[in-house]
Amino acid sequence: MRKLFLIFLFFNQLYAELILEITQGTDDPYRVAILPFSGDTEMSEELESIIKNNLNRSGEFETFGEEELLSSPSSEEEIVFNDFKILNIDYLVMGSIAGGDVIYNVFDISKSSKIRTSTVFGIPNKNRQLAHYISDGIYEEITGLKGISSTRILYVTENEKFNLVVADADGKNEQILLESNEPIISPVWSPDSKRVAYVSFETGMAKVFIQNIGTGEREVVIENSSQISSPAWSPDGKFLSLTLYQDGNAEIYILNLRNKNLTRLTNHYSIDTESSWSPRGSKIMFTSGRSGSPQLYEIDLRRFNSKPKRITFEGNYNAKGSYMPDNQGIVFVHRSESEFKIAMKYFDENFIRPLTVSQMDESPSISPNGNVIVYAIKDGNKGLLAGVTLSGAKFKLPASNGAVREPAWSGYLR
Amino acid sequence: MRFLRSNFSFLVAILFLASCSSMNVTEETVNANNVKTVKASQMMDENITYDSQAVFANATIYFDFDKTNLTSKSLQTLKSVAEALNENSQLRVTLAGHADERGTREYNLALGQRRAEAVSQYLILNGVSKNRLVVKSFGEEKPIAFGQDEESYSKNRRVEIN
Repeated sequence: MRKLFLIFLFFNQLYAELILEITQGTDDPYRVAILPFSGDTEMSEELESIIKNNLNRSGEFETFGEEELLSSPSSEEEIVFNDFKILNIDYLVMGSIAGGDVIYNVFDISKSSKIRTSTVFGIPNKNRQLAHYISDGIYEEITGLKGISSTRILYVTENEKFNLVVADADGKNEQILLESNEPIISPVWSPDSKRVAYVSFETGMAKVFIQNIGTGEREVVIENSSQISSPAWSPDGKFLSLTLYQDGNAEIYILNLRNKNLTRLTNHYSIDTESSWSPRGSKIMFTSGRSGSPQLYEIDLRRFNSKPKRITFEGNYNAKGSYMPDNQGIVFVHRSESEFKIAMKYFDENFIRPLTVSQMDESPSISPNGNVIVYAIKDGNKGLLAGVTLSGAKFKLPASNGAVREPAWSGYLR
Repeated sequence: MRFLRSNFSFLVAILFLASCSSMNVTEETVNANNVKTVKASQMMDENITYDSQAVFANATIYFDFDKTNLTSKSLQTLKSVAEALNENSQLRVTLAGHADERGTREYNLALGQRRAEAVSQYLILNGVSKNRLVVKSFGEEKPIAFGQDEESYSKNRRVEIN
């Protein structure tokens, strides 16, 4: 049975806040009861609502609050496991707040036992962050997969001006990294998620900048007179692959960030761009027009003078590829029957799997646990973000005003 | 007896470890994740001084979908641009390529660049010195028509000369 979740959240702030809307959950979610945290009613309500939204958004959970349960134990000793078994609840979360810190416990109802006890030390004005940490702990304990509630998403908004924005993975807590009168495209995170690289047209021409998120310090990566675009960090953070146009045509180069040495990677009269690194940094995938239409190619960096190998063959438009974090396959933009969709291909399969159904989907970015893909869609003339999990859940992150595009998922921040 | 006792304590230790391993105990502190907002400096294009511009070299050249070659119609326009540039040897122009919104942003940036390069090559072949031309692309980032139809798309696939 398909469960339909419809959750609207509304937060009005000074600038466009993303509104999360879960459009479709998975078939058989974990049923989790979350009781109020004792010790601070107001803070508990804030934490509960954020945690429930985080878990529900993953599509893998259905959460239950105090009012939907048969009993609400105030201590471990008072738990009547049968009250939860009757409701087919799989897990119970309860905890307490003291001095801004939270201790929470996770119980496995079927085993009638406690499976986790965790302490999260809070810092002032970061309750949202604290709730994300608790969400991730619950998620990890139950699914065995690392949680992504405490990660962040980078994206570009256009509303007269162009802004490069960073927000929590639930679309809240938006903060502007860069304000500009000119377009910004292709933002990416450094592997340690402390810096971002992006293409800004502020000088009148595409240039790649690196910016420190915490200090705001920024620099143009290469000083020359031609345009530069499409940055991608190597997994060790030492190199940036880029598209340079100095040869009169888009070619991919690798920039050593320490000594600024440039190494040319591609050499072809057709377009070569949109490079991305494999999780271990041994391969680079890129989009090339050398076959007559955009297709994905791969270069093995461990081999001397290795030739690009074509890896997509279905359809006449496959572009902007990225590797899945477990290196099991790739995610990319695929055109079929004049519609642009996000698609996935596992390396051990010889067919592609379309993941989305709209017409102008682009810029897929994969969560660090590999479980969720965020991408940009067009709804009429308006750009907004949407997400799909590998388990089939879907959600949208429309901005309350202005267009949103070019999402990029951070690494783990916790 | 001694053997039994040590065996027993061993068993207790095993049971204790087993009960521990079924429960996770963690401790962590929330990260501050501070962010600083920056405003982009509006540096001027270093390559061109616009006050020496003459309007008669301005033109827009249009392209077919996914194509970068010049059509016969655009060749006529370019012929008069080349003449204007050859008559005014002080003139420098920017060739800015654009694409329609279909396809990925970076590929469209490269496509716009190839369109601008095609125009540049024509002008060079017709006697305009390369250092009088600045070639660049805005990809799909600066559309002039906003519909999602062929009429709008065809207006956006262009090279602006000015």
